[in-house]
Amino acid sequence: MTSPISDPDEVRILSFVNHIPPVAGIEEHIERAFSWGVDAIVAQGTGSDWGPYWLGSGLQVESDVARNVLPYVRAAKKHGVPFVFSFGIAGGNVHLEKCLGDLQRVCVAEGLDLDVAVIESELSSEYLAERIRVGAPVLPASDAPHLTPQLTEEDAHAAERIVALIGPEPVQEALHAGVDGVITGRALDIGLFMAVAMNRGISRAVAGHAAKLLECGGLALEPGDSANCMWARIDAESVEVRSPNPASRPTVAGLVSHGFYERSHPYAEENPGGTLDLSGVVYTELPDGGIRGTGAQWIDAPYTLLLEGATRVGYRSICQLGVRDPALLSQVRTWIGTAEDQTRARYADEFGDGRVQLSTRVFGLDAVLGELEPEKTVTGHEAAVVVDVVADEQALANQVGYYAFIRLFIGPYEGRKTTAGNAASPYMPVVIPVGEVFTFGIYHLLPLEDPVAPFPFTVRHFGASTASQEG
Amino acid sequence: MLLDEAARVIRSKNAGPFTLTLDIFFSSEENFRTAQASALMTPEGVAEAYGVPVSTVKGVYWDERVMAAKVSLARWTSSADPFCSDMFGAHLHLPLSQSSL
Repeated sequence: MTSPISDPDEVRILSFVNHIPPVAGIEEHIERAFSWGVDAIVAQGTGSDWGPYWLGSGLQVESDVARNVLPYVRAAKKHGVPFVFSFGIAGGNVHLEKCLGDLQRVCVAEGLDLDVAVIESELSSEYLAERIRVGAPVLPASDAPHLTPQLTEEDAHAAERIVALIGPEPVQEALHAGVDGVITGRALDIGLFMAVAMNRGISRAVAGHAAKLLECGGLALEPGDSANCMWARIDAESVEVRSPNPASRPTVAGLVSHGFYERSHPYAEENPGGTLDLSGVVYTELPDGGIRGTGAQWIDAPYTLLLEGATRVGYRSICQLGVRDPALLSQVRTWIGTAEDQTRARYADEFGDGRVQLSTRVFGLDAVLGELEPEKTVTGHEAAVVVDVVADEQALANQVGYYAFIRLFIGPYEGRKTTAGNAASPYMPVVIPVGEVFTFGIYHLLPLEDPVAPFPFTVRHFGASTASQEG
Repeated sequence: MLLDEAARVIRSKNAGPFTLTLDIFFSSEENFRTAQASALMTPEGVAEAYGVPVSTVKGVYWDERVMAAKVSLARWTSSADPFCSDMFGAHLHLPLSQSSL
């Protein structure tokens, strides 16, 4: 089946989320979308929801991205339309290369040959330090108090890894290379979709609106599920969406509600080069089950890119203890407080120098809400105590964690009968070295005059037919 | 009536690492209007429920089309805190949802 010929003034996009495994039967849904016409398949796979850990550690969720995208890549190749993906969650070079390596193995196994324009979005500390020296001030994107009010060269060098959320422009450029697809590191989710639409002459306002509906795949449908795909036709004035999976459908309420998702303001969102304003959007139900939206606006602003930089703050060790004895449950915080005091006394120098921090969570009491928890005693029949230590060296975190464990395990408490041991230990080692702990030391906006130049693409070949080439 | 009793969906999530956003979809127009008229669903009411300064509440927004409210506030503990208990911010609705309208 070939895709119906596209009107030159419109563009049809099939969207999904590439780090989420697709629903069973996705091939059928993809072909249904192609029967309506598809000009590009677009899927995001980066994000900072998890915090800075993936960015700092170089690791990522084990989501098997290459297998997730396979049915979509096959369809794109078969119908001769490009795909656009962002890969690797944190989206640094190490994350991107891990996914590309997996893609290469899948291409070889499946007999696929792809020419892909790859865009890295990691920035070196040296590049950023140079920009800080000679460029306009790099200001925080949030009022979080730990962020420096104007980014310094020291901040740039202190970061373990730095990425930029690239906008649509580098992707637009790469799409002109006549490749089978474009794969980026960290990118603005909506920018991937906007790039495809803007290359067809669609305005930023309409492209941005369509992108907002499409960015989480089937999540904006009813029922919402990012394991499903979603289809949209975008023209100069409007976006029309449909569900390729007949088990779900777009609803006006669903699309409006999706506009709320994971953003602080329901209608306005600041993006590179301007603010997308959806306050005037009107949705109309179409007779065939689709929904059309019109009325998005774009208010231009100076071009800035959001930078994310992970800075290591230490190493974590944890230790879990299970408590079931009612006598101990009734005084669990007193018992923990004694053990914490003894630990702080034993390692007084290390705590005094700020080399180590200790926190003890009690699941079953206040581990979720902390000081906001209205219940002040354990009301259930058991609780989990998690000793949490962050130190400047893993060995110190392990030592402090073990000392706290011992005090909890053998420390006396009022009315104790459990003199052989106070609690249950489910895990060996009792003190678990968790590894590095990071913060977003950089969450700042980099002013850019040329949004393309820092993010060139390289054409790389995937598959068995020829060796990997640099383009 | 608790906010929890007035809504069919109360979802909590990060909007970027340092902002928490709550989407509240009401189960009836009557409950939606009750919430709109409440002292709880104001920046001052939200600040009191979470025990944070009102200046850290970014907004309380309403959408008539879907009878929904959005509440956004700066995270009082975030991934910048090594002992943050909820990295996704997915379970921080309770101080608001368990408060009276």
